[in-house]
Amino acid sequence: MRRYLLQRLFAFLPILIGVSLLVFTAIRLIPGDVITATLGTEAGMLTDAQRESLRSYYGLDRPVVEQYARWAAGAVTGDLGVSTRHGKPVTDLIGDRFPVTLQLALMAVTLALLVGIPLGILAAVRHNTVFDLFVRMLALAGLVMPGFLVGTLIIYLLSTVFGVLPNAGNFVRFNEDPGLNLRQMIFPAITLGFAFSASVMRMTRSSMLEVLGDDYVRTARGKGLRERRVITQHALRNALIPVVTLVGVEMGYLLGGTFIIETLFSLPGLGRLLVNAISQRDYALVQGATLFIASVFVLINLLVDLVYAAVDPRISYDR
Amino acid sequence: MTVSAQSQPSELHQTRRRQPGVLRRLLKNLSGTAGLLLVIFYVGVGVMGVMGATPFPPNEQHARDRLQPPSAVYIMGTDLFGRDLASRVIAGAAHSLRVAVTSVTLAGLAGTLLGVTAGFAGGWVDSLLMRLMDVFFAFPALLLALVIVTILGPGTENAIIAIAIVYTPIFARVARAPVLAVKQMEFVMAARCIGGSSIRVLFRHVMPNTLAPLIVQISLALSWSLLTEAGLSFLGLGAIPPMSSWGVMLNEHRALAENAPWLILYPGAAIALAVLGFNLLGDGLRDVLDPRLRGRK
Amino acid sequence: MFKSLRFLFLLIAVVLAFGTALAQDGGSTLVMARAADTTGLDPHTQTAFASLRLLELVYEPLVVLDADLNIVPALAESWEFSDDAMTLTMTLRQGVKFHDGSDLTAADVVASFTRILDEATGAAARANYLSIASMDTPDDYTVVFNLSTADVPLLAAMASVNASIVSSEAIAAGDFSATAIGTGPFILDEWIPEEVTRLSANAEWWGEGPFVDGVEMRVIPDEASILAALRAGEIDFALLNDPLVATLLRGDESIVLNAVPALAYHVLQLNPSRAPMDILEVRQAMSCAIDRQEVLDTASLGEGAVTGPLTIPAYHVDPSTFFCYTKDLAKAQELMAASGVEPFTLKTIVANAEPPTALSEAQSIQAQLAEIGITLEIEPLELSVYVDRWLAGDFDAAVALNGGRPDPYTMYVRYWTSTGNLQGVANYIDETLDSLMAAGRAEPDFAARLDIFTQFQQHLTEVSPWLWLYSGYEYTAHQPYVVGFEPNATDSLYSFAKVSLER
Repeated sequence: MRRYLLQRLFAFLPILIGVSLLVFTAIRLIPGDVITATLGTEAGMLTDAQRESLRSYYGLDRPVVEQYARWAAGAVTGDLGVSTRHGKPVTDLIGDRFPVTLQLALMAVTLALLVGIPLGILAAVRHNTVFDLFVRMLALAGLVMPGFLVGTLIIYLLSTVFGVLPNAGNFVRFNEDPGLNLRQMIFPAITLGFAFSASVMRMTRSSMLEVLGDDYVRTARGKGLRERRVITQHALRNALIPVVTLVGVEMGYLLGGTFIIETLFSLPGLGRLLVNAISQRDYALVQGATLFIASVFVLINLLVDLVYAAVDPRISYDR
Repeated sequence: MTVSAQSQPSELHQTRRRQPGVLRRLLKNLSGTAGLLLVIFYVGVGVMGVMGATPFPPNEQHARDRLQPPSAVYIMGTDLFGRDLASRVIAGAAHSLRVAVTSVTLAGLAGTLLGVTAGFAGGWVDSLLMRLMDVFFAFPALLLALVIVTILGPGTENAIIAIAIVYTPIFARVARAPVLAVKQMEFVMAARCIGGSSIRVLFRHVMPNTLAPLIVQISLALSWSLLTEAGLSFLGLGAIPPMSSWGVMLNEHRALAENAPWLILYPGAAIALAVLGFNLLGDGLRDVLDPRLRGRK
Repeated sequence: MFKSLRFLFLLIAVVLAFGTALAQDGGSTLVMARAADTTGLDPHTQTAFASLRLLELVYEPLVVLDADLNIVPALAESWEFSDDAMTLTMTLRQGVKFHDGSDLTAADVVASFTRILDEATGAAARANYLSIASMDTPDDYTVVFNLSTADVPLLAAMASVNASIVSSEAIAAGDFSATAIGTGPFILDEWIPEEVTRLSANAEWWGEGPFVDGVEMRVIPDEASILAALRAGEIDFALLNDPLVATLLRGDESIVLNAVPALAYHVLQLNPSRAPMDILEVRQAMSCAIDRQEVLDTASLGEGAVTGPLTIPAYHVDPSTFFCYTKDLAKAQELMAASGVEPFTLKTIVANAEPPTALSEAQSIQAQLAEIGITLEIEPLELSVYVDRWLAGDFDAAVALNGGRPDPYTMYVRYWTSTGNLQGVANYIDETLDSLMAAGRAEPDFAARLDIFTQFQQHLTEVSPWLWLYSGYEYTAHQPYVVGFEPNATDSLYSFAKVSLER
């Protein structure tokens, strides 16, 4: 196990280097000039000398290789540079925005699990009944609607029918006012969790069906255990293994892919920060934030594999 | 997540023998049948769109009939430009079909090639290719697509390229796992022993075994690519107007939804049904092709 | 296993209940929302509308525009042009204090204009003040601008955030990016980019007001969400850009919608330096082929009015008197035939969602130009790429929403004079334009100016380097209890100083 862990951690490094190279190159491939992106049409007023001095201010007059080396060297020591748009260190900005996205992702996943797992189990137990069909249809509805449509609909209903959109546009961190924070987060979390609960429900249902046919479950039934106990104590544990993987993958996705929902609900999350940074050609911020998201993503995958090993006795990483 | 492959090599091989009955078994499966019907319907509408069999030319503007609700003439109503929505939804089916099929084909081909090569070659080739895939895989899908389209500029072709790149690593993984498993199996060893060339072994024995998981993956990828295209269009990075794309239609008319709900309803339903079709079909195919599930309903 | 489900529904119910109970917290802070955020705090270099909306609350110029675009006193109490329009004398208001407590004197005015005129500052509107040759300060509250040439529009040009008076100490300190020390009705407390900006009332402000404790400016990137927040009563005031969103408030009794004809104009800029747009008949044919009202009706749901080059009400000319402002396909075809140009294809650049109507305008024009055999290809671009290409003049055509100014000369000096710094974007100039602009600049008499600029408009629409389409509305929306706001054509929020909340 330890050897496997070391191996995986070792593999982590080349991936990060690859990601950093990819991001560094990608942002420079995007057409458009940093200075125009910062100044807008007034960049047309600049003299050549002013342009040059701005370029050197942003460090863009140096060879690309040197720019990368500087940035990478900084990144190793935890210095991701300074955002041109925000005038703050990139690490501070990530530290400020990441908790918002993390909270959103955790809430969405929790909601999805709370809804998806029980429904999935019920659908499996009452397999091929009207209930099963209904739940499956509901789940599919969650999967087939583009998130921005669901979000728009929810916002519309909230504002016109219920007349609430808690403190819209002025996001309050959890530690500042937990109650208000939760009220602001619950609907974006539902929007994100809706689609995900569908995946969870489907996965739970199918793996539950699979497990319910296995020998040991039959044995447990044979021993005369009550059905409820068979399900909760014997079948569930094994049926949930694929769900763990699913949660891992989804968490990774949610930590960087929620920018549409963050925009609709005006939450100051990492995804929106990054997407805005791309359109503002804020090189340092794009590089730093992407590297961070990718690292978290890879770490979560590692974690999932470990959890996997912990819950599934059939898998062993020591060979 | 490559773990599951280790537990199923012997069953995978059986799949091949049972291949001929797939369609019949699929039709016995409720969700498979529903999915197949939806997909056939969608493809049919798409073909209508390709052939231009629409009530009106999809881009024809009728200035006087702006924002008409559904009526006998315009069965799904008209949009801001007085264009017939039904025609645009049909043309949109053609467009989305083109995007989905092309991007998934590209991703499937590239991914399978990379995955099979990596798995079959092993060693440093495997490490290099799969680490490269990991690098791409380390980005959330929509974010990666967004970056690629921002570099290339908006447009249908670029959206296709972006979606293809995003889904290539998934196919690579799906294709590689069974190759690794199959490679260890007796019949491949045997084939090699009796002097079969590597290439021959690859195509005769290894490739067919990766088909089952790939087919399932393809049907799911088709549904994702539809949603990704819609997402990109929402950000203004998809098809270029006046091209009718469901995503663009939704984006263009989101603000009008309150007074003209049909503008959102029909393209929204179109996306939902198409995605639903591929999902149901994928479920059905999984039930049919995955031997571990066989024998149960 | 139903437990967790039950728990979940309970949780949501509780959260909702809380939400309704605590929806309003009262207080006397004006809460407003808008889609875009400030991009920087230097009043002399910022041009983004979003930045100006914040800076005009903090900094003040010598003169400002009232709701009818008249020039009215701000930091200057009165002013006087010499008869030959070669000197402008400003008398400053006494007792005005900067937010740091220092007094406003003539020295600050001189320092501010010196900074604006210094090329190294990169001031946005520098070109408008180049006629200032020197400044004298006979006493602490008088500034005399000595001009190198007669320059009547100078006064209107001074009514701009970009001509704000900053303190000479701040200039000496040199940093305008982190702090904002102005004389305005509100003091900047906190700016968290892309989230919220907080301002508090300036108790020492020279005018009457402010009547609120402060202003909270929130960024809500999606306009549909701004509308939702307004309807839910979460915000008091909103800036809206998208006519499709704003019109949803028409007929809504519970929210006040202000729509003021804008100075900004929607235009299809042709590039006459590229063939075949270099041929007069081709440009004119395009002008004749386009039904401007239809573009307006389609892209903006008819919210606005067809316009010529000048959108300033005082210089308004009935658009139907302009060249080919009624669609005339026969004439368009005739002109195309006369030009000897075969049907051709041109590409237009369009910024993504900037303005929100841009893509719709392009599609409407595309369909109309097709009628005379011209294929218009649409090339949507991300905003900053669009701006790059636009500045470089790298386009066949560009769909644009360009800002207007209260004076015709300052509005177009950048484009339609041979020395204009955006001549490379306009790519067209002729002697008539040059001489009319020069005459308009030196003429102090309004009736004579009106005549000059009417000729200017007629000539410009006839040579058709650009096809002016329409001007829309500047939208603001607020709760009925927001009293005292003065909607205006420049979308200025300066009148927040007069706003009170009468809940």
